[in-house]
Amino acid sequence: MRGKALAAQLMLSVIVAGTAGSARAADFNWKKFQGKTVTFLANNNPISAALLTHKADFEKLTGITLKVDGYQEQQMRQRLVTVMNAHSDEVDVFMTLPSREGAQFAAAGWYADLTPLTRNEVAPDYDYAGLSQALLKAATYDGKLTSMPMNIEGPVLYYRTDIFKKCGVDAPKTIADVEAAAKKIKACDSSITPFVSRGLKPALPYTFSNFLHNMGGNYMVNGKSALCSPKDKAALETYSGLLRDYGPPGVVNYSFPQISALYRAGRAAMDFEASNELRTVMEGGDRLKDTALIPLPAGDAGQVPTAIGWGIAVSANSKQPDAAWYFVQWATSPAVQKLLAVEGIAPPRSSVASDPAYRKWIEEQPVRKQWQAALDVLAAKGSSEVGYPIVANPESREFIGQAVQALILKQKSVDQACADADKQLDALIAKK
Amino acid sequence: MASSLERTDMPDAAATLTEDRQTVELTALSAPAVAFTVGMIAFPVVYTIWLSFQSFSSTGQQSFVGLGNYAKLVSDNEFWHGLWVTVALYVLSLVLQLFFGVWLALVLFRAKRLPGIVRSLLISPFMMPPVVAGMMWLVILDPSLGAANYILTSLHLPPSDWLASPTWVIPTVALIDTWQWTPYVALIVLGGLQSLPPSVYEAAQIDGASSFKTFQRITLPLLLPTVVTATILRSVDLLRFFDIIYITTQGGPGNASNTLNIYGFRVGFEFFNIGYASALMLTLTAIVLGVVLAFNRLRGAVAW
Amino acid sequence: MTDMPLDDAWIRRLNTLQLAVAGIILMAPVVWMVLSSFKPSFAVTAYPPTLIFSPTAENYSQLIQTTPFFSYAVNSLIVTVGSAGLGLLFGIPAAFAVSWTRISWPAVLTLAARMAPGTLFLLPWYVMFRQVGLIGSYTALILSHAVITLPIVIWVLLPSFDNIPRSVFEAAQVDGCSLTRILWRIALPLVGSGIAVAAILAFVFSWNYFLFALVLSNGDTKTLIAAAFNFVGEGSTEWGTLMAAATLIALPPLVLATLVQRWLVAGLTLGAVKG
Repeated sequence: MRGKALAAQLMLSVIVAGTAGSARAADFNWKKFQGKTVTFLANNNPISAALLTHKADFEKLTGITLKVDGYQEQQMRQRLVTVMNAHSDEVDVFMTLPSREGAQFAAAGWYADLTPLTRNEVAPDYDYAGLSQALLKAATYDGKLTSMPMNIEGPVLYYRTDIFKKCGVDAPKTIADVEAAAKKIKACDSSITPFVSRGLKPALPYTFSNFLHNMGGNYMVNGKSALCSPKDKAALETYSGLLRDYGPPGVVNYSFPQISALYRAGRAAMDFEASNELRTVMEGGDRLKDTALIPLPAGDAGQVPTAIGWGIAVSANSKQPDAAWYFVQWATSPAVQKLLAVEGIAPPRSSVASDPAYRKWIEEQPVRKQWQAALDVLAAKGSSEVGYPIVANPESREFIGQAVQALILKQKSVDQACADADKQLDALIAKK
Repeated sequence: MASSLERTDMPDAAATLTEDRQTVELTALSAPAVAFTVGMIAFPVVYTIWLSFQSFSSTGQQSFVGLGNYAKLVSDNEFWHGLWVTVALYVLSLVLQLFFGVWLALVLFRAKRLPGIVRSLLISPFMMPPVVAGMMWLVILDPSLGAANYILTSLHLPPSDWLASPTWVIPTVALIDTWQWTPYVALIVLGGLQSLPPSVYEAAQIDGASSFKTFQRITLPLLLPTVVTATILRSVDLLRFFDIIYITTQGGPGNASNTLNIYGFRVGFEFFNIGYASALMLTLTAIVLGVVLAFNRLRGAVAW
Repeated sequence: MTDMPLDDAWIRRLNTLQLAVAGIILMAPVVWMVLSSFKPSFAVTAYPPTLIFSPTAENYSQLIQTTPFFSYAVNSLIVTVGSAGLGLLFGIPAAFAVSWTRISWPAVLTLAARMAPGTLFLLPWYVMFRQVGLIGSYTALILSHAVITLPIVIWVLLPSFDNIPRSVFEAAQVDGCSLTRILWRIALPLVGSGIAVAAILAFVFSWNYFLFALVLSNGDTKTLIAAAFNFVGEGSTEWGTLMAAATLIALPPLVLATLVQRWLVAGLTLGAVKG
């Protein structure tokens, strides 16, 4: 059902983009907003860092001056929330994570609608249709396209081939295999942490969601929270069980900094963390030769990997959305995403993924090949659902996190944990 | 200490004139500070009070709910738990910091020939930005990778989960804070020690009193106003505990370290529940005000 | 009486021992931080932790090259000196007045700004300063940081002013001196150590405060402490560079504290006045 709707949408957007593109291609002028200044509130992650190294190219191409304000993710969100709550026009363009705040920001009316812009004011080589349709859909609320995708990422399973070999474990093909591998490794070498993933309350929904979807669970069924359904309970038990029994001590505080550090230091056999932690994990070179990378192995429902992407959006309060849009489309154009790709930013465009320069970069290391293969799976089958598909998504993550942590800390039984969570989540869903 | 500000050598009318002139002068001396503060905080406080009487829907529509947010607060388990966490952390940290702060101040005071740079280094922990202190302790206290457990296991002592233990997270956070802010308390008390008249010590030494007795009978009572000042200044920051917890545990495990400030911040900035967050923040402010007023009373009693 | 010399020697030795213990406990993490700044990022979280290693300056060079570190430092300096100065300018007379009259509500009022969570001020101040077009100006930053330094100055100086016996002022009062003159000529020189402490604390608090700079500054006036956060993020947690930034950020307050020590240990000439 989902596949058909997606295909239909894909066809429709190709037609629209095709016709619109050919009609306007001749009119497009990069220098249309020459002399203007666009302010970009950036999140200081590798994506924007890589993007901004080419800032001068953009300014030369368009004659627009780009003012950049970069902050760490949580700081940037604080600043953005303050600026937007004050209805200020100070920020024209900002980075956003639709899977987390998309519904929230869209409901608050903070995004400018990009749909008309993608049709009318687009460079001929922009190739709107080449962008990941799943990510575009995830950024569309009430028919309005709120941001353009900059990358694709998701949690992947890094694991130590040498430890697996030493303990006589095969590469896991199912989640049950992962559990069995953890058990075997624990018995084989007690100094190694068999499995590490996120246990920090607000961070764990990112990795937990993948387990949930692979095992056929759903956060919401018929408008009500479904954490106590059999498949959801199984997912809760599996994820928390892996961390509780085979995870490192203190895993309830663990997010990407500690997880990557632990794996990189050689202290963990399996590491389920974000794909864009690759560079951090490979730093120093110790793990370059003994790491394999796969999407989370299949559960009862096969592989439904979590695939999200950072987006770049135009503020609804911006006084010059059209000039701002020029930056957005430049940043997400095939040419620029090609440049970003060879710096390790997985592109949300299949055309870029098959670009020769990028492929050469991939071929340099076997682990990069596996990384790209995993991302291909994410691009093909991915779901952006991290937490509840409601406006109050961030708050829903809090209750999911509480449930899983209670299980890791053995504070509640599964039935108790899921019941408590369902109660609070139903109240949250009902709140308008 | 009697305050004899009256002039006994002048006729009454002239005395009143001087007093009036002094009153004007005193007002003028404190006016800039008062006016500046009022100018800066009046609008934010009034605005936040107004916000606390509103309720915001997810689409940003607001409606007046009067004391609704405060009623919600009273029946909110998270609020009461947050209050408990805040108070526990506050009392534990304050007691440790006052005790070690006074001790360190005395040690520094007696080490008169210590080079300035060494003294500065010893008080430097509180000069570290909170984000750095948080990240640093996150690594040092990591149960698997950190130096803390490494040292413990080398000494054949059992390792701890430190910040990841629901039972021990508050004492651990209190220890981190004590490490960082004891030098701050010591500095304030040291300043107070320096301003005590040396004649006080001379008198005690002539009498042959031991150092400890001198401390107990003379120094400590004279230091009390400074210690109360340090208490007030620390209380204001400790009751609003945020930075270290935000960087290390985000209120976890579960909600074991969810102070009121952390709770209010998340409600406002992450859940976009601005009305309720405002009510939470104002309630916290009121609690801090109460504590400050109580200690200020004490300060007036010992200083004046 | 004959016991005194032995007593003194033991006391001094005991004190040195206590000093050493305090020094180790307080300095060990700081030493860890500085050592880590000379390790490549992945080595900071390596296990077992290493004390002996070959140091590298790459974190510092990366810091200086990839971030406008120097201009951030200048911004921080302007804001901190400005707000500490403003705090001292308004705070010293206010503390004197409160001590003189024993009426403490002005002091409590200035502390009120510190009783509320800092986030309470973010949106209202952003709106306020935006109205007068001061977002991104040094003025907005200095004013907001002064809200923090002012109560510190007042409350640190209060006990110092309180400690001055009234008799000291009697002579000046007999001469008909105005209170301002009394403050400037008599009281101020006597609270040197208090002012030293107040100056250090005001500087440090303003220097390390990032919350207000987060919304009130723009790219040109961003302060150093905001840069420190940038090294922790998904996809790029750079421990080594963070520690290098931390070490550099801690230097100015340390330098100030060392310079100001002179007044801190000057002690009091009160004995002479009383005698």
